[in-house]
Amino acid sequence: MIFALTAITFVIAVAWLIVELRTPPKNAVTLLFHAAVGEEPLVFNEYAYKNPEGSQPFKIRDFRFFVSNIALVGEEGNYREQDSYHLARFDNDRSTYAITLKGVHLSDVTTVSFSIGIDPQANTSIESVGDLDPNSQMAWNWEVGYKFLVFEGGIRIGDETRPLVYHIGFDESRRDLQFALPSGFPLQGGQEIPFSVDVMKLFVGTSSINMAEIRSVKFDKEDTRLFADNFGDLIKLDWE
Amino acid sequence: MTQRLLISVIALTVLATGLLCYGLWRETVEPSATPIAGFSAPFVFGRFTIPEDNALTEESFALGRHLFYDPILSGSDQVACATCHEQQLAFTDGQARRVGLSGEPLAFSSMSLVNLLWGQRRFFWNGRSTSLEEQALLPIQDPEEMNQDLDSLIEELSASARYRELFARAYGEVSAENIAKALATFMRMLISSDSKYDQFLRGEVKLSALEEHGRKLFMAHPDVKVSLRGANCIDCHSQFLTSGFRDALDGFSNNGLDDEAGLPEGLQAVTGDPAHRGLFKVPTLRNIAVTAPYMHDGRFATLEEVMDHYNHGIKVSETLSPLISEADNSIEEGDRPVGLHLSEDEVQAVIAFLHTLTDKTFLSDPKLANPFDGKN
Repeated sequence: MIFALTAITFVIAVAWLIVELRTPPKNAVTLLFHAAVGEEPLVFNEYAYKNPEGSQPFKIRDFRFFVSNIALVGEEGNYREQDSYHLARFDNDRSTYAITLKGVHLSDVTTVSFSIGIDPQANTSIESVGDLDPNSQMAWNWEVGYKFLVFEGGIRIGDETRPLVYHIGFDESRRDLQFALPSGFPLQGGQEIPFSVDVMKLFVGTSSINMAEIRSVKFDKEDTRLFADNFGDLIKLDWE
Repeated sequence: MTQRLLISVIALTVLATGLLCYGLWRETVEPSATPIAGFSAPFVFGRFTIPEDNALTEESFALGRHLFYDPILSGSDQVACATCHEQQLAFTDGQARRVGLSGEPLAFSSMSLVNLLWGQRRFFWNGRSTSLEEQALLPIQDPEEMNQDLDSLIEELSASARYRELFARAYGEVSAENIAKALATFMRMLISSDSKYDQFLRGEVKLSALEEHGRKLFMAHPDVKVSLRGANCIDCHSQFLTSGFRDALDGFSNNGLDDEAGLPEGLQAVTGDPAHRGLFKVPTLRNIAVTAPYMHDGRFATLEEVMDHYNHGIKVSETLSPLISEADNSIEEGDRPVGLHLSEDEVQAVIAFLHTLTDKTFLSDPKLANPFDGKN
């Protein structure tokens, strides 16, 4: 009897060991976004910055965007996050936003990819998936979809303060970004992949936008495209 | 053998007595937890959470409903929650600022209590409470409102056999914590989801041409560059809930009621952040046609006055929402008052849509009415 029990336990232990060795370890990977404005730290509600195309002082009241469809590629295969919709916002002491991916069955990562914006199917859905919430500030309405990126603030032009409102949405504004990690990024528990977010690049990237002249963008497709074309300049892998 | 039998009998007797006592104890003291049945909410309202230590139960609701309507909650035994939150007015009181116990008007107008499971998680006009449990006890103790000492209240409630039973069923003992929990449950169950707008969203009715025009304007931020006209309500009032936004402090706004010199503290009183000066909680627009007067201080008597404000009465200050100062339907150049500049027809369309948010079922639901009427 005791022999039989010992034998069964032994077999189970060996089987478990084989399964465990064949499966790569489950790791948590964090994408850590740190926001700044050019060389300056991101502070809200202070006229701390200058219009890069004109030099008028401006302030930021709100800055946030959707990161979606996160995928990792490693030597052993791929990881794709389910319900991958994250609203990155930076109204905290460290100006950071973290996305932790759990259960990543990869021992190294060579490429990280995600989109700024939302895929067309989710964009006009009224399901609450991930950070998508049709009753949130990011929703225009169910017929138009979500704002992908929001920048709001004010600019001083002469003696006057004028509002800045950039609400960038529409399916065609989504930009898929891909980042190659240097020489096989090893994964250990709680590993961070750091990204820098430079708010100023919204105005001086692929497109140059003078915020004193274009003070608001909502539904005009051409102005919207100017901003969307800068999404790729906004985020950089912050690897030393 | 006899000895073993005796021991068995004694053991069984002790066991039976124990079980009987336990049964009796359960019967009289142990709170029963009947989950609230038939509780449903529209899918479009989205997710909500209920505190782990305060499940929605029929027993808690029954207690909360009694407490809500009972003037025993006030120091003078004259003022109930329901005094300033009347069901037929969507749990407002029809007054701009009710006169407090010292004879001076209160700081704020009574807020409508509806769909509190969703939307902004801070409560009161200036957001000074972070849960309904915390909120519930504040007006009771406020010297200007109900002016009640919690220990005295617990004493009074404990002296009532009816309340001892209601508390025992819902939670156990009579305590401040359990008063707060029961009131929070009652408030969570104030769900309005049968307005014409809800019926429209469910595909049961059509809106009139005027209401539909108003709905489109409600849902649109104006953009003269693409000839899109809008009333811009959606920038602060979410499309289905029509309340302020849930996350962080997204559900607070300075909507241009006062200029820089006259700007009240608002949310700054809670956060200490000067950028929050003059920001107030964005209220739900559910049943808005029956909750006049409007704004945190009830300064506008009618929806027409509210629309006049947004149309050409915006007062500029540093914390004014850029979504308001930037939203203008006019293409004319030159100086003009800050506002939406909608046509009179468009204003009437928006007001017609706002009337579709009235939910007569909710305003007269007997389950939410005074439990003392006709019964006790």
